[in-house]
Amino acid sequence: MSKKHQTPLLDELKKGKWPSFVREIERAAEKSEMTDDLLGQVEQSYREKVVHWKHGGMVGVKGYGSGIVGRFSDLPEKYPGIKEFHTVRVNQTAGFFYTSDMLRKMVDIGEKHASALFNFHGSTGDIQLLGAKTSELETIFQEYTKLGFDLGGSGSALRTPSCCVGKARCEFANFDSMHMCDGITQAFQDEMHRPVFNYKFKFKFSACGNDCTASIARADLSVIGTWKDDIRIDQEAVKDYGKKFNLHQYVIDKCPTKCMSYSDEGGLKIENSNCSRCMHCINTMPKALRPGTKGGATILIGAKAPMVSGPRLSMVLVPFYDVEEDAKNDYAWFKDLISKIWEFWDEYGVSRERIGELIQRVGVGNFIESIGLEPLPEMVANPRGNPFVLYEEYVEADEEQKG
Amino acid sequence: MTDETKKKLEEAIVSLIKEYTNKKRFKPGDIVKEMEGKFSASGVTKDDVKSAIRELTDSGQLIYGYAGGSFLALPE
Amino acid sequence: MAEVQGAKRITDIGPHNYNDFLHPVIKKNYGKWKYHEILSPSHMVHVSEDGDKIHTVRVGSPRLVSSSFIKDLCDLADKYSDGYLRFTTRNNVEFLLDKEENIKPLLNELEKLNLPAGGIGNVVANIVHTQGWVHCHTAASDASGVVKSLMDELYGYYVGAQLPAKVRVAFACCLNMCGAVHCSDIAVLGIHRRPPRLIPEKITNLCEIPSTIASCPTNVIRPDTFNGKPSVKLVEEGCVFCGNCFTVCPGMPIADPLNDGVSIWVGGKVSNARSKPTFSKLAVPYLENDPPRWPKVVEAVKTILDAYKKGAHKGERVGEWIERIGWPRFFKATGFEFTKYHIDDYRLGEATLNYSAQVRQ
Repeated sequence: MSKKHQTPLLDELKKGKWPSFVREIERAAEKSEMTDDLLGQVEQSYREKVVHWKHGGMVGVKGYGSGIVGRFSDLPEKYPGIKEFHTVRVNQTAGFFYTSDMLRKMVDIGEKHASALFNFHGSTGDIQLLGAKTSELETIFQEYTKLGFDLGGSGSALRTPSCCVGKARCEFANFDSMHMCDGITQAFQDEMHRPVFNYKFKFKFSACGNDCTASIARADLSVIGTWKDDIRIDQEAVKDYGKKFNLHQYVIDKCPTKCMSYSDEGGLKIENSNCSRCMHCINTMPKALRPGTKGGATILIGAKAPMVSGPRLSMVLVPFYDVEEDAKNDYAWFKDLISKIWEFWDEYGVSRERIGELIQRVGVGNFIESIGLEPLPEMVANPRGNPFVLYEEYVEADEEQKG
Repeated sequence: MTDETKKKLEEAIVSLIKEYTNKKRFKPGDIVKEMEGKFSASGVTKDDVKSAIRELTDSGQLIYGYAGGSFLALPE
Repeated sequence: MAEVQGAKRITDIGPHNYNDFLHPVIKKNYGKWKYHEILSPSHMVHVSEDGDKIHTVRVGSPRLVSSSFIKDLCDLADKYSDGYLRFTTRNNVEFLLDKEENIKPLLNELEKLNLPAGGIGNVVANIVHTQGWVHCHTAASDASGVVKSLMDELYGYYVGAQLPAKVRVAFACCLNMCGAVHCSDIAVLGIHRRPPRLIPEKITNLCEIPSTIASCPTNVIRPDTFNGKPSVKLVEEGCVFCGNCFTVCPGMPIADPLNDGVSIWVGGKVSNARSKPTFSKLAVPYLENDPPRWPKVVEAVKTILDAYKKGAHKGERVGEWIERIGWPRFFKATGFEFTKYHIDDYRLGEATLNYSAQVRQ
């Protein structure tokens, strides 16, 4: 292939055993001419150690404020092919399941109307088609909707919800994360496509505490699977694991709440009321142990990356949520909780303030009171250790007398 | 909300954004609050303002922009 | 009301429903899986209550891929997994097979295409990463290049070599951190080290002043005027180089080839297993950008992995290992220098000090 740009630095990254993104850009350039200039510009960045993309801009499809991220080269004369090189976020399927037939059609759109380069998938979950010109956006959008795929979220909107593989292929799943993710995504299309929030808002659904979607680290609203009843034990299978490794060393002693014991005679015993559903024993002996049958989820709130006031993890908001029961009702209880949270955020939050930052600013107690939840010990690692309490009531002498 | 109020509401939204071009970036939420107050006598609700914004963006009279946060603007 | 033009446009349909893409064996056993077994780092099998089996063959991808790459996968899926495949949250591809006899030929073909099969169990998982210089305007470093260099070096740990527990490595090219970089076993983070340059003409014309001021986590962007117009000034001593002001105001560019680079963080996790989820902690405050292969970054990550492999007990994640041996010994084991930058002086930093006489001597 005759190359438009010399790329000695990038060529170094075609060596080695891991699949090369440089080779992928080259392959995309074989399908879409514009992509050649991307190689040139990235090579220049490698030479100068600095980025060559400009600040976003006003691009999108009509009626939506989401789903397209504007990208412009700051060297448009030198690299005309990537003068406009926008990202199209295409909402992935729940659980990232596809057929070859559908995938071919999806990437054909990128070959025909854009750079032929994709992210499978972006960090939030969308399929990202990179490198679309402004004039092609509407066509690309319509081609994807014809296949039954809509755009995902961007900007101050609900971001594309995502979930783990859940009940489709995992015995650890305590609720149907794919069904819930899909249902919630469909319910909040308006909030995804027409930004009305102070800042982004992310949902992630993980069906057990292993949290394969990293929801506790990055979702404003994390739904993490758990269960109410006892861990199911197959004592024979426990014994078999005991022949493979030291049960005490690798299972019993590592239990964070010390709720397990084992003896050859008595088998494995679990004090389920003290189990914190951490998943360690189940992870280690999946053939012997299973979560209970009364599955559901813990709802947590507030995780985010550093901007603006520092990174946060999600904190417990609802210790147990009966997902299956609510699913019968189209997740009405969950949607109501969400709308209360959004109302509070709308009322008290400021621009670019994530919900976790707002809760920190106004205090967890005030927040839960406003959305109608009770304070619960499950919400804290421990009660406060300082006496600076904002008591809200006191009695005065005359009232005492009256009383 | 009457058709007449709706028309007035849409005009007020566009003229507010026009007036503040290059001075302030209105988030859709700002517009909702602003208009809810301004049209409270006509019984305009949050959802009315939202649907007005939707009609204005669907018809291309307003577009969304992004600069660290989303905002509404007149087409360039 | 008048017909809106272009009313035929399809909007707000959401994603295509997943039910159309599920393998028949998955559909049949949805919610009925009993257990799984990891048979090799590239192959696991899930067994249902009815005894049905679905095999998964996992393959690493560079995340940034061409349409041709996807079509290669599709061809393989047609040949070996009845056209069914999925992706993972860490940019792996998974072929879902009900015919065990197809696994070997699939693995052989993957090898011919130079696609790495692995990533399951106690190995280095595929690195999640961001766009970098390839496609982002705030990147302080490239993402794909660093990740490619790291994965070339750690290749053996993806396809087979066993570690005490799984190791999740992540890369973010600036503090915006697309992805859960801040809770990874090993995180590489692009950083700036020089305050933004102020371009007054751009600030007054392109930036909304109040939101620019509000964007600063340390409140060192202050109101000012330029040619009689509202503008901002910066108290440079308080700048923590987060680049958030540039995100809202193009008049404050912060990228600087001489000073940008990466920092390295360790010991975070998102899983609730055993210990609670936790942030990654600072290990190396700065390494320069050294394209195309960032050798010092690769070396530092290798150093951490080697020390972890040598020191950790079976089943311990990186953070659990460090928690057990203590941070002083982590710094000794890796040879990384402990500096004043390691001591947290930001909000809540107080909570990270050692208020006890428990010191390993």
